[in-house]
Amino acid sequence: MSDYAIETSRICKEYPFFSLENVSLNVPEGQIMGLIGPNGAGKSTTIRILLGLVHQDSGDVRVLGRRMPAEQVAAKWDIGFASEDMRLYEGMTLDWHIGFIRSIYPAWDAKYAQLLLKRFGLKAEQKIKGFSHGQRVKATLLLVLARRPKLLILDEPTTGLDPVARHEILRELTGVMADEGRSILFSSHHTQDVEQISDRITFIDRGRVIDSMDKEIYLDRWRRLRLEVPAGVELPALPGIIGVRQEGRVAVATANAFVPDLPSAYENTGVRVQRVESMTLEEIFVANVEHSREREEACEAL
Amino acid sequence: MYTEMDEAFTISQSDKRAMYLQIMEQIKQRIAVGDWTEGQAIPSIRQLAVDLQVSVITVKRAYLELEREGVIVTQQGKGSHVASKPGLGAQLREQELEQHLQQAARIAALLGLRPEELEERLRDAGDRLNGTEAEKETV
Amino acid sequence: MRGSVIWQLVLKDWRLYRGLIVFSIIGGALALAIVQWRKEPPLIIGAICFFSALILVGHMLPIAGIVNERKKQNLAFLMSLPLSSIQYTTAKVISIFGTFLIPWLTLLAAAVLLVESRGFIPRGYIPIVVILAFFPFIGTCLITGVALVGETEGWGLGANVFCNIVYSLTWPFLIQIPGLMTNANGPTVVWSAVVLKVLGAELGLSVLILALTFYFQSRKRDFV
Repeated sequence: MSDYAIETSRICKEYPFFSLENVSLNVPEGQIMGLIGPNGAGKSTTIRILLGLVHQDSGDVRVLGRRMPAEQVAAKWDIGFASEDMRLYEGMTLDWHIGFIRSIYPAWDAKYAQLLLKRFGLKAEQKIKGFSHGQRVKATLLLVLARRPKLLILDEPTTGLDPVARHEILRELTGVMADEGRSILFSSHHTQDVEQISDRITFIDRGRVIDSMDKEIYLDRWRRLRLEVPAGVELPALPGIIGVRQEGRVAVATANAFVPDLPSAYENTGVRVQRVESMTLEEIFVANVEHSREREEACEAL
Repeated sequence: MYTEMDEAFTISQSDKRAMYLQIMEQIKQRIAVGDWTEGQAIPSIRQLAVDLQVSVITVKRAYLELEREGVIVTQQGKGSHVASKPGLGAQLREQELEQHLQQAARIAALLGLRPEELEERLRDAGDRLNGTEAEKETV
Repeated sequence: MRGSVIWQLVLKDWRLYRGLIVFSIIGGALALAIVQWRKEPPLIIGAICFFSALILVGHMLPIAGIVNERKKQNLAFLMSLPLSSIQYTTAKVISIFGTFLIPWLTLLAAAVLLVESRGFIPRGYIPIVVILAFFPFIGTCLITGVALVGETEGWGLGANVFCNIVYSLTWPFLIQIPGLMTNANGPTVVWSAVVLKVLGAELGLSVLILALTFYFQSRKRDFV
């Protein structure tokens, strides 16, 4: 058995207007990975490949040690999958869905399910069509959480939820981490959530992985430097700087490979470093996407 | 057994400092105040991560840094506890004071204050504090 | 474990189709009741009612059970369960035909009984009735297969329309097959070689359609 919940190597998948190229990401057992990226970046496609619902054109995928898509049935016994575009049967009650899941999966924590019903404020006897959007999302997650699967793969689990509901979901997701044998991979637009609970972050844009690493290390590599450029001094191009915006004597440099002596490197060239700020994941997200797009356009222009 | 996590332990998203720094500060504060005493067991990394709803890796980092500073000790398989250093609480208080003093010195330099002026200001602040303390006692 | 997942899906479908199942049985019974009611109804009305009931049920089942499931985005939910696309297909075929066979066999048996007992239709027509009864059977196979393999709603609905057209077009050609209608007006049931060949072809066509369905399903690279 491998020590990785998810191991992928250079996944490629081609569609008429979009393709995944060499997507590689690894989730060690017991960790939470947050998958972020703009709409259409390939997060959902990647997730579906992890579940064996879409066959990759090339590349290896192992989930819980099983090769996908060949062993998808075996893998899915231990995976809990919920996706934003997944719907339950409108005409049936939540109780019916619980019964249906229980008829297939032997492991079901009834006590935990009861607790979740209470925490999420859901009525099991109610038909799904009577649920609000937030309640449906929570119902879908309940069906997945109460099975206590070894691996949770969630595509946008908190999208469209109000802050209270999001908090409830995050509480359950972090609760999963009490068991060091369980892992989570989730994609989200809420960079705050990803920043808060992920151990690792993978950043996807336009079908490619831009970054994939330990969250703390990642956040440490990004800094915003507020600079003062005296007259007659030229802003040097330093390594580790992803982009600079200058207006008159004031400039802002964004570093994506920050090292402690970077500010002094600037000072040595005569540029004054007024402040060094850390960046939120959201700011990193935007900077990353903008930079990667600029670079792509520059390459195409050549 | 460690003390239950009460609501006072929170991670703020709006706080500009990194989460692991916030965790470190709040743990140090607990010790400085005396809520957590020397040698006392503290939540395991996973347990604290679950309680705070943050990633395990963030708590791990906080604990590693605290261990490096000699504030806590983590033993494989046995969990973590406050370092059994007598006077740790007071020592942390000292560090906090030192940080504030350096900050004050830096700002004073920016304002162009001379050392004597800074000393004067510090004394005034102390007097004001004692004054309010005295007021509180008389009430 | 595997067999039971398919079975749970079939049970789930039957639970979801409860309304449809009841409706189909009632519909079939009603259609026959209408035929029974008049002493000597024109054959055409009887035939129309008979086939309409079968076609309605047969076509509705795959539309409701497959097309809607995909449209309402329930498919992702199902595929998150531990099953392969082939197991899903198997479960669908079982649940749809399991449901369809109830009215189909009922109506067929009743129609045969009707011809047997009433006498205003020559008993020689019974093999023809059986041959005709296979039209909606094949149609249901086709719509089921197309709905499963086709990615959008349009396929299933298109197959529905296609079948309806084909039914009416095929009948005139069928009658012209030499030797088929020879014994129709006779008093006895004759399972002639021609009749058996036609029945064999119909059964073969049904099996072929289902086999192709499974083949195409297994080749799919993007299932959801």
